Amino acid sequence: MSTIQNLKTFDPFDDATKGDDSLPAGTEDCIHIRIQQRNGRKTLTTVQGISEHYDKKMIMKHFKRIFACNGTVIEHPEYGEVIQLQGDQRRHISQFLLDSGLAKKEQIKLHGF
Amino acid sequence: MSGDEMIFDPNMTKKKKKKKKPFMLEEDGGEGPGAAEEAKEVETKEVEPEAGEDKEVDFDEDDSRKKETSDDLNDLNFFNQKKKKKKPKKVFDNELEEGMKELKIEGEQTEPLEEDNLDLMLPAKKKKPRKVEFDEGELEKDDTLEDDDSKNNDGISFSSSTGPAWAGSERDYTYDELLNRVFNIMREKNPDMVAGEKRKFVMKPPQVVRVGTKKTSFVNFTDICKLLHRQPKHLLAFLLAELGTSGSIDGNNQLVIKGRFQQKQIENVLRRYIKEYVTCHTCRSPETILQKDTRLYFLQCETCHSRCSVASIKTGFQAVTGKRAQLRAKAT
Repeated sequence: MSTIQNLKTFDPFDDATKGDDSLPAGTEDCIHIRIQQRNGRKTLTTVQGISEHYDKKMIMKHFKRIFACNGTVIEHPEYGEVIQLQGDQRRHISQFLLDSGLAKKEQIKLHGF
Repeated sequence: MSGDEMIFDPNMTKKKKKKKKPFMLEEDGGEGPGAAEEAKEVETKEVEPEAGEDKEVDFDEDDSRKKETSDDLNDLNFFNQKKKKKKPKKVFDNELEEGMKELKIEGEQTEPLEEDNLDLMLPAKKKKPRKVEFDEGELEKDDTLEDDDSKNNDGISFSSSTGPAWAGSERDYTYDELLNRVFNIMREKNPDMVAGEKRKFVMKPPQVVRVGTKKTSFVNFTDICKLLHRQPKHLLAFLLAELGTSGSIDGNNQLVIKGRFQQKQIENVLRRYIKEYVTCHTCRSPETILQKDTRLYFLQCETCHSRCSVASIKTGFQAVTGKRAQLRAKAT
């Protein structure tokens, strides 16, 4: 009976959530990049919605190095892991997401002014 | 006619034979359009020999017959204008001797006339494009002033240019021709379309004033809400979510936002709002109604009657920007 394909235990759709190569895995709708003003001319940039298949801490390390800024990964009960960076890094982040193939252009949503 | 040639051959020089032959061709060719060309050939051939011999022979009879020929020439001119078919026929209706001489004379005299015609034609043709470039108003006047010849030519040229190219001919129209025709008709019917292809959505610029050091006031907030036909609440929620701050409407109906913002930045956000929540996603017209239907906002277009859902406004993740000590104090 093992020759009949229907009775196999292997699920062909097991890794369907990982998506295909063109679509980044797990990003349901889009990645939101927001900016918040702090005191003075200081700002914060938050990145929300990066798929859980990627290690935020590693991304964070890379961001810190190439953007020359500090930042943290915040665990949020509703939005999951959110990357938070110092300064206005919106352009840099969107460029990085596009170049690395983490998201497509229509999946990135830039908020703020 | 060949017999006539034989008769005239001894009297006349060999050069005249040459003249006859083209005319014979005309007869044979009958009433084709080639007659005009042949006539021109004849003229060109005749010009050189006639200068010597023919004029001496013809001058005696010319006085009496030039009037006739001139009459003929008038006729011929008309025929030249319209169709050159009848020229050979007319010529051969006359007596052969006279006909031969007349032919020479006509050949001589039609030449300059045709040149004149050509001269008239050329400037007329040159005038038109120039005037098209400069003034369209003068075109009509000049057309009326121009000669009959040019008018005839005008009619031909216009018919060929403006009318459908396939009208007279057997061939089928091509796709490009039909496309051009449709677009021409569309431009004729509504000339606004050409300029208004890209309809611009003009609206007032937002007046943004700094209040103190940490707050910004959006003075004509309610005016803009009225202009966009949107609830102030909706626009307020969008603005605050996008800017990632808090704010409220004060007593003077102006929006006070926490944080420093410039007019340009607010304009950017407003533009995004209009793109998402005001203009129709299908036809881009701003005449739309935003209605809430089972927790979802729908954009109903008044011009194309399309209906589509729009994204709900979400603030998303907000980082802690205030002092944590204050938060802790509030919590307790």
